[in-house]
Amino acid sequence: MEIPYTVTARKDTGLFNSKVGIWLFLASEVMLFGGLFSGYVFLRIYADYPWPERALPIVPGLINTFVLIGSSVTVVFAWAALKMREWRRFQIFMGITIACAGMFMVLKGIEYKAKWEHQAVRMDDFAIIEGHAHYGAVMENGEVDHFHTKLEAKKAGGGKPFKTNKILFRPATIDFSVVRAHEPWIAEMLEQAGKRKSKLVTSGDVFFYGHIEDYSGTESDPLTGKDRAKQEAKIVKEFGKAEENLARKFGKNSLYIPAGTPLDYGLIKKARKAYIAGRAHNAETRTAILKENWRRVKEILPEKEYWEQAPVAKIDAATQLDEQFDDQGNCVSGSKVVSLVSTLSFRMDPPQPLVIKRSWIKRPVKAKDGKAELRDDTTLSAGDDQDQGAGLLASPVALSVDAIDFRWMAQKAEEAGKEPMEVIEQSWIFSKDNKHHGDYEQIWKVHKKRIGELEQELADKYGKDAEGKPKRVPTETDRYRVTWQDLVHYARAKKDSLMPGDAGFDELRPKFWDGFAGPNHKDEEIHKLHAFPELEVPHHKVSMQSMFTPKWNTYYAIYFTLTGLHGLHVIGGAIVLGYFLFFSKGLYRRNPEWLANRVEIGGLFWHFVDLVWIFLFPILYLM
Amino acid sequence: MSAEASAEHGHDHDDHHHDLPFYKKYIWSTDHKVIGIQYGITALLFLAFGFFLMMVMRWSIAYPEEPLPGYLSWIFSDEWKARWLQDGRVTGDTYNMFGAMHGTIMVFLGIVPLGFAAFGNFVTPLQIGTVDMAFPRLNMVSYWLYLVGGLTMCASFFMESGAAKSGWTNYSPLANFADGQIVNQFLAGQTQWLLGMVFLISSSLLGAVNFLTTLINLRAKGMTWMRMPFFCWAMLVTGFLLLLAFPPLEVAAIMQLMDRTVGSSFFMPSGLYTSGAGVIEASGGGSPLLYQHLFWFLGHPEVYVLLLPAIACVAEIIPVNTRKPLWGYKPMVWSIVILGFLSFIVWAHHMYLTGMGPVISTWFQTTTVLISVPSVILLTSMIVSLWGGSIRFNVPMLWAVAFLPMFGIGGLTGLPLAFNLVDLHLHDTYYVIGHFHYVVAPGILFGLFAGIYHWYPKITGRHMDTFLGHLHFWPSLVFMNVLFFPMLVQGMAGFHRRWYNGGDAYLSKAAGSENIFGNTVAEWIHLNPIMTFGAFMLALAQIPFFINFWLSIFVGKKIKNDNPYDATTLEWATPTPPPHGNFTFDVAAYRGPYEYSREDHEGDFYPQWEEPKRDKPAKEPKPEPAQ
Amino acid sequence: MADTLEEIQKAQKKYILIGLILFVFTVVTVAVATVPWLDFGEHGFDSKDAVIGLIIASFKASLVGAIFMHLNHEKKLIYVVLVLGVIMGIVLVVLTGWSFEDPIEYGDSVEGDGFYNPAETVNQD
Repeated sequence: MEIPYTVTARKDTGLFNSKVGIWLFLASEVMLFGGLFSGYVFLRIYADYPWPERALPIVPGLINTFVLIGSSVTVVFAWAALKMREWRRFQIFMGITIACAGMFMVLKGIEYKAKWEHQAVRMDDFAIIEGHAHYGAVMENGEVDHFHTKLEAKKAGGGKPFKTNKILFRPATIDFSVVRAHEPWIAEMLEQAGKRKSKLVTSGDVFFYGHIEDYSGTESDPLTGKDRAKQEAKIVKEFGKAEENLARKFGKNSLYIPAGTPLDYGLIKKARKAYIAGRAHNAETRTAILKENWRRVKEILPEKEYWEQAPVAKIDAATQLDEQFDDQGNCVSGSKVVSLVSTLSFRMDPPQPLVIKRSWIKRPVKAKDGKAELRDDTTLSAGDDQDQGAGLLASPVALSVDAIDFRWMAQKAEEAGKEPMEVIEQSWIFSKDNKHHGDYEQIWKVHKKRIGELEQELADKYGKDAEGKPKRVPTETDRYRVTWQDLVHYARAKKDSLMPGDAGFDELRPKFWDGFAGPNHKDEEIHKLHAFPELEVPHHKVSMQSMFTPKWNTYYAIYFTLTGLHGLHVIGGAIVLGYFLFFSKGLYRRNPEWLANRVEIGGLFWHFVDLVWIFLFPILYLM
Repeated sequence: MSAEASAEHGHDHDDHHHDLPFYKKYIWSTDHKVIGIQYGITALLFLAFGFFLMMVMRWSIAYPEEPLPGYLSWIFSDEWKARWLQDGRVTGDTYNMFGAMHGTIMVFLGIVPLGFAAFGNFVTPLQIGTVDMAFPRLNMVSYWLYLVGGLTMCASFFMESGAAKSGWTNYSPLANFADGQIVNQFLAGQTQWLLGMVFLISSSLLGAVNFLTTLINLRAKGMTWMRMPFFCWAMLVTGFLLLLAFPPLEVAAIMQLMDRTVGSSFFMPSGLYTSGAGVIEASGGGSPLLYQHLFWFLGHPEVYVLLLPAIACVAEIIPVNTRKPLWGYKPMVWSIVILGFLSFIVWAHHMYLTGMGPVISTWFQTTTVLISVPSVILLTSMIVSLWGGSIRFNVPMLWAVAFLPMFGIGGLTGLPLAFNLVDLHLHDTYYVIGHFHYVVAPGILFGLFAGIYHWYPKITGRHMDTFLGHLHFWPSLVFMNVLFFPMLVQGMAGFHRRWYNGGDAYLSKAAGSENIFGNTVAEWIHLNPIMTFGAFMLALAQIPFFINFWLSIFVGKKIKNDNPYDATTLEWATPTPPPHGNFTFDVAAYRGPYEYSREDHEGDFYPQWEEPKRDKPAKEPKPEPAQ
Repeated sequence: MADTLEEIQKAQKKYILIGLILFVFTVVTVAVATVPWLDFGEHGFDSKDAVIGLIIASFKASLVGAIFMHLNHEKKLIYVVLVLGVIMGIVLVVLTGWSFEDPIEYGDSVEGDGFYNPAETVNQD
């Protein structure tokens, strides 16, 4: 059996199969990227925050555009070489194409890495600070110090260095949900506690009932069984003994944890097993009782409506579940359901700071709550020892600032009918509460002056319109955003004692190709100039913090999604083309035309990938 | 010819494939027929599973205060019951989970694979007279992607989070929060749903590319566009719908996946607050409405992806069993093409309540009403096709004929929903459920059952049993209506589609009650147990089918020859079951697909593949050279 | 399509030329966005810059499509498929945009904030 038209074209359509296939596929790709582009357009047009326009460094994107266009030319040459049956030439051009794909991905990787290392903070007054987070280390005495680099933090001793976007909490007790406690987090907490010479031990005795076989209420009628009552009474009595005899087993999944047992995940797992067995037993018992109730109700009240029967059929816990006593106060029937222990409580002795990732947290941690809830239902609480320093520690986001953005604050001020400049100058960053406020006042003064000069320059150059308004004015971004280029610019000017408007001031500005993939904090000049000032944003001022990842805003979200999917297409295309290059010599000998067809198809896909990038480059880098 | 004999027969023409090992022949198969059967059986199993979920839900609606009966709950483990049921009763969470998965499974894992992938795979290459699909290996990949996607989704039932629980539409931001407490988001049901969806969409895209290429490039000699059976036309249009409508949903799924796993805010508006987590620590700035647009851009064409294969099956069965040509073949072809196109510009009629303005609402209302024109042409043509025919009421024909009025009810009940003013009242009520299920269950599913009974002899070489067929058909017909008709009534009375206890919580007959639902609920809540009874009877009615389906392979009546129905289309020209490579002669189409009862031809059918007799060549159209 | 060998030979020069044009227009699109005296419209980025950027990108894309992907001389069927894809893409963007741009608005005939308030109705009686 052979499928027709794999190599030669069908007469009436003029096409071979895979060419029809690839164009159909490309049509669906048009829809895929069309959907993503429409996402970009609508997210941008209807954004309720200042969209970060022209936010990416252009140079890597520009080089990548050249690389992809170049590879598009070489792939079509590779195809032409095959058509002319020049294997060597085909190899060369295809090799270049794949090398281009590799280079594209390397550049993409450099760009991505720069973003993943870039910290941003949105303060509660909508001021936005960008920069590189400092590192913190918890010393053995429980003090926390901040350092510029990981290396410095390491040298200073103490625990593992952490980025200052974490939260520090000194818990007196930690409650773990037996069902949901997450093993890696427990391991992390234990490791940190160990480093700081602290222990996590259970705060009280805990007894888990296991699954009690005799109870499984399905075998005999739970409402009437007299034997059951006797058995239950016996079991209740035995429970008393069990408490005395700590080691004694009670039901196959029963568990006794005495106070002072150190935390480990195995313990939680055992407790989980007991809990789940107990829960299953309770559910089974209650289901059986409810079923029986309904059977009775339908016998007794057959004429009533369903919703009138329902209240009668409800389980009455007092008579149907709880312990029953006779007139003399003797227990005749034990509780039919076991009580479930769903959390295990541990004491931290002595309380030491724990570094907690923000991604662990279920809801924002506030100092006054005295607790931190994690997503696996673990609760760290300060307990009653709050005055001894337990609870949330000062967890500022400390960073070297490379951009300050007041655009959102200005937007909010305008929405509230206030003067943006006034609001900005009253912001926390310029207030006395900020111990570095002097630096920022200085920068802001220079910035305002420079924008004033720019405004004047534009007015002089482009004149005014009929209403007397200047034709061109500085943008919101110019006015309210201090970029890293601005910071370096101002620092250089400060060194030369120049102010905006002075001769030679403008020449000090970094060019657009400086700082390949963004501000370079390791640059010697920048380091010497202290161009990127320090800042510690207190925990309660942080309304949102993130790296420059999809989380930070919808712009980075769509940027990563679009370029990520495009990157996957590049990788996929390169793999297919690589297959043609490295594993198709045999096919070339047998049926060179077939290989040429395949390369044509691969090439079509490759051109499409190039075509998508031609749109991605301007909309993400230049707009 | 018996199955065994024809298998021998197949070997004669298939010299280098007969020694394929079992796993290559039936599991990692690239043969379009085996893949079609794989799709069919998998889809039937998913349909049964989806049906089971529905029975649990119906129990909860009718008897919200009672524990699930043993025959529904035996399948769950004790631990599962303790986690998801409360004293054996279905909880709201569990109901949501089952509801979301019922919808997803039925639509994406049941009907589409059965209609488009199973029948499409088996029948299309046969009907256009070719050896296989254009890309057989891609075809195999499609199936396995589908299976992986389906299992990924269903596996989440056993996870800590349970399966997806935000409705089959998975609207944001609800779907963004669901299962948010799970530490590893990739192990959350809601995320698994998205991952499964990405697999399913990829599978559908590959399938669509394959079908379209096959239909465009692999038609046999003389098989011109207007000689293609209507079934193939339906597959062509369906293929285009899948090809162009699915990518936006893939976009939506990827974006929601980003929202869930890396914390982006594509579909999260600013300043969102939930009782569970307070102010959400997300950037905000996203658009929940964007999700709905991307979803329904697929969602509406998807309805036609469900429908067209069923209509196509019926359109094949009617001419065969009335012994007369399909009435209005050309208008039907044009209708289906126009229908396909229009289905792309109606989607926001699902979104009248999202605050769209009157202008755009009018646009969508107009296009929605317009789309009923081609639908009515299709249905009318098929009804007229019955007129004056000498109808053989065999089992497939019963299903096919029942399809017409049932789908008619489904279609007509949709008209009120098209008008945005009426929709304000009916939106999210049981009326919508009733309408949609009339289209899909007694409509589409009847069409697909018809197809199963019709092509079964070609697949196995044996007929399905007629008595069991009747035992399947008549109760199904009755109980489908018992199940779905009361929904229309309840819906108009204002029963909300997401009441897990069927309105029980809203019951109130107190005069002047604040509860505006109370009185209508009390009036119509009696319908709940009736519908539930219908559903359970419907389940019983499917038992004969499953028995029939499996047993007839071995004990069914053998077919008299390769063309047991005296049909005219090319799939009946092959040996039975068709061997790898399908045809044993150089196949060509000499005439249109429905040449029944031609006066100038002896016998009441004139197959497409029969070479015209030499003495009257002038009357036959010359086969167009295709090669 | 370069069907014969001679045509392929000839086409190669064309491919190089197109490649160069694409390079040049890439530089142009960056220049338009970065060089102040090439800035159209207002100072800084605005809608005119977006339109110009997209026009240049579309021009480049159509060169890639027409020459590298041979769309300047393709079979009819491929145009049909591609046009369908593009139409549906446009439909998606346009209709979605339309419904974003056409929210419910209350005319002057409705007083107050436009929302029905039963309490007010009662007071009017």
